[in-house]
Amino acid sequence: MRDKITRFLAVSVVGLTLLCAAVFVFLARYMNSTSAQTMREVGTIYMTGMNERISMHFHTMIEQRLAQVEALLEFYGADGSDKQAVDRELAYGAKARGFESLALCSDDGRFEMLYGNAIKITDPEPFMESLRNQEKKIAVGTDADGKNMVYLGVPAAYAMSGKETGRALVAGLPVDYIRDMLSLDKSNTLVYSHIIRKDGSFVIRGGEAFRQSYFQRIRAIVEEAGGSNGEQYVEELSAAMAENRNYSQVLEIGKERRHLYCAKLPYSEWYLVTIMPYDTLNETIGRLNRQWGYMVFLSCGIVLLSLLLFFVRYFKLTRMQLREVEEARREAVEANKAKSEFLSNMSHDIRTPMNAIVGMTAIAITNADNQAQVQSCLRKIAMSSKHLLGLINDVLDMSKIESGKMTLNMDQVSLREAMDSIVSIVQPQMKAKNQQFEVRIYDISAEHVCCDSVRLNQILLNLLSNAIKFTPEKGCISLSLWQEPSPKGEDYRRCHIEVADNGIGMAPEFKEKIFESFVREDRTRVHKTEGTGLGLAITKYIVDAMGGTIQVESRQGEGSRFCVILDLEKAVVQEVDMVLPNWSMLVVDDDHMLCRSTVSTLKSIGVEAEWTLDGESALDKIEQRHREHRDYQIVLIDWKLPGIDGIETARRITRMLEKEIPIILISAYDWNDIEEEARAAGIDGFISKPLFKSTLFYGLRDYMGMAEKNKEEPGRDLKGCRVLVAEDNELNWEIASELLSELGLELEWAENGQICVDKFKSSAPGYYDAVLMDLRMPVMTGYEAADAIRRMDRPDADIPIIAMTADAFAEDIKRCLEHGMNAHMAKPIDVGETARMLKKFIK
Amino acid sequence: MSLIDCYKSLEGDYDDVLGRLRSEKLVQKFVLKFLNDGSYDLLCSSLEAKDYKEAFRASHTIKGVCQNLSFTKLYRSSHELTEALRNGWSPEADPLVEQVKKDYEQTVTAIRKLQAEVGG
Repeated sequence: MRDKITRFLAVSVVGLTLLCAAVFVFLARYMNSTSAQTMREVGTIYMTGMNERISMHFHTMIEQRLAQVEALLEFYGADGSDKQAVDRELAYGAKARGFESLALCSDDGRFEMLYGNAIKITDPEPFMESLRNQEKKIAVGTDADGKNMVYLGVPAAYAMSGKETGRALVAGLPVDYIRDMLSLDKSNTLVYSHIIRKDGSFVIRGGEAFRQSYFQRIRAIVEEAGGSNGEQYVEELSAAMAENRNYSQVLEIGKERRHLYCAKLPYSEWYLVTIMPYDTLNETIGRLNRQWGYMVFLSCGIVLLSLLLFFVRYFKLTRMQLREVEEARREAVEANKAKSEFLSNMSHDIRTPMNAIVGMTAIAITNADNQAQVQSCLRKIAMSSKHLLGLINDVLDMSKIESGKMTLNMDQVSLREAMDSIVSIVQPQMKAKNQQFEVRIYDISAEHVCCDSVRLNQILLNLLSNAIKFTPEKGCISLSLWQEPSPKGEDYRRCHIEVADNGIGMAPEFKEKIFESFVREDRTRVHKTEGTGLGLAITKYIVDAMGGTIQVESRQGEGSRFCVILDLEKAVVQEVDMVLPNWSMLVVDDDHMLCRSTVSTLKSIGVEAEWTLDGESALDKIEQRHREHRDYQIVLIDWKLPGIDGIETARRITRMLEKEIPIILISAYDWNDIEEEARAAGIDGFISKPLFKSTLFYGLRDYMGMAEKNKEEPGRDLKGCRVLVAEDNELNWEIASELLSELGLELEWAENGQICVDKFKSSAPGYYDAVLMDLRMPVMTGYEAADAIRRMDRPDADIPIIAMTADAFAEDIKRCLEHGMNAHMAKPIDVGETARMLKKFIK
Repeated sequence: MSLIDCYKSLEGDYDDVLGRLRSEKLVQKFVLKFLNDGSYDLLCSSLEAKDYKEAFRASHTIKGVCQNLSFTKLYRSSHELTEALRNGWSPEADPLVEQVKKDYEQTVTAIRKLQAEVGG
């Protein structure tokens, strides 16, 4: 194609150039010949006019001179007067008119000189003939000195010396005079003329002619210039002269051309030949032609140049276009190749699980009786089917994305649930590959967000399953989630999701196109890894659709790190009031961030917690607290710890303390495998990471009852303690009284805050051991009553006051503490809880 | 009507209350006493008088009693009403008052049947 266009362009350029040149050459030639033709015509016209003028001039001059001679005749008549006087008069008149000589001519041609030199007519015959016929005539001749003369003869009957009567009067003029008059001898004029006779002999030579005959001159000149047609000109000329025709001819003398014009002169046997060389004309025409030629070539050049420019530009454009077409074609081919490669990969990937299904089905059929075998087959079939389904889902997703049909289904999503479910999905795979899994969550201020939960799950699953796939056995994978304020405003939280591994990583050039469809790094290491290669393209698309960003850092052989940033809207959910008793807790985890975040989360649900980073320091802390008789009430301990692990730590705690405190294991792993060992080591329960607020709340609440049971049996005897109960509602009071009496307490009832304060005031110091205070009471609220008691100037003004209310908001608890109360209990009244509280605070 | 049926019909949590009070007799005693509790009347009268502070306290008390007796359904509606009245009257309060009245009637009807049975 490209060659064709190039060839076409080249041929066009050459063709057009040739055409152009030919047209211009033709034009130049044509114009040249036309102008030469025109010039010849102009020359002829000019020459004719010139010749005519010269002959007219000659005519006029001869006429004039003849008229002068005739005038002499008129003045001095030939009638009988004195001959001598007449002769004298004639001579005088002729001298006065500038004639050089004057003679009378007899019938037989004898001259009687009146003055001047003797006359000798060169060719007297025609002269005398005309005179005898009473015609005027001119002729040339020589005088006695040999000077060339022109003689004008006019018939006149003057008496000659003797008896004879003269036939004519003849006056002489020097030839030079005529030559001067006719400007025949002017060498500075371009035109020169000769006067010749019929036989070609010169009468008067013009210019530089020196030969006897003009015919000879023509022949000689033509011959000299190498021409051969001199004779032809001579013949034509003499023929024209014989016929008394004017003759006009361009003489080609070598390269030179001359225009010749010949015309008969009157009163004589002479012909005027005028010659004009074309040189001057030629030169003018030549200049014109040259200019014309230049112009032609110049314009031809301009036209060619612009043509050339046009072609070059066109050629370049075509080349560019071709290149683009080529590029597009290459891209299309590449895309096509990627797709067909993908198809063949996919077919292979689909065939593998399909083969497994078919094979396993066959095995199951043949072993239908062996239940264990059948079950194992079915398990494998289920696994393969699941894998197959995954592949097909990916392909469907991708085609949905490519056709632009994927939409997000926004809903309230609990990040805790999302993380829990993803962790439980990927755990078995990681366990199978013996990989370490870390889940880190911190600074979560909005657990519920608006998001497409399915797609969010897909993002996490894609990233994690990639990490699992490309991390070898015993590798390390971590999933982190944290939040920070979003630039999108108050209602949004910016969520960072980070999946990192220390697997095989990827090459930088592959990193560039990792989010493209149908791409999987082409390395033998990767070949045995299954997958469609669509996962990350889908992930990227989902993240884009959610308005987030995804970035990847990776180094070959060192691992990869994917960071997803999403700005998610906080969901408006009435979160359940999550309040736990203000237990004192210890959190043990090697992750500093997790410890800090967990402690602050625990604080927000009313639990006082401390943290430490390893098992040894945890043991120290627990021991110290034990010595101070204020044991931790719950210990949260990570399974994997540097040094002694969680289970060993638990074992030592149990051994160290004679009484048990609840120990709860926290881990990202499923604890089924270690449950037995853990239970044996004295671990009471398990909370799976990630530790959201709700995870902790629900997880710990489940162990709350147990905590009570453990605490219940021993401890202080409450028998005989006197407790003042401020409660406005009689029914509530009765219930409280009924329940708490069981503990052996002596209870007194105050119907409102005021009564409560009064009773306390009027009692002896130390009479009451504690106050249970309802908060919402008529007359005086629990807060005010607590303030009043604390303000009293009594030794027992610091009596334990425990708030007891149906409100269980964190703010209420805070407010209770602000008003000097020792603790807060939520209704309904619980015997165990109340007993624990009272024991805690009664001295 | 037995005590268990009574709890069923007023949509309460019998197991829970029994767990705390530990004796069926005790539970029955307090359940029957609920009929004499003045908080509901106080709620009605203070709502009528537009004394929302007092109404808040009354509904709060009902909530507390219900928690003690595990009257789950009435607890829920009274809890919501309490929240609606916490900062004075709010637009949500009106439908909630109706709900509390309905639930209270349901509770009281059930207890009355129990009362008729045990002859207390």
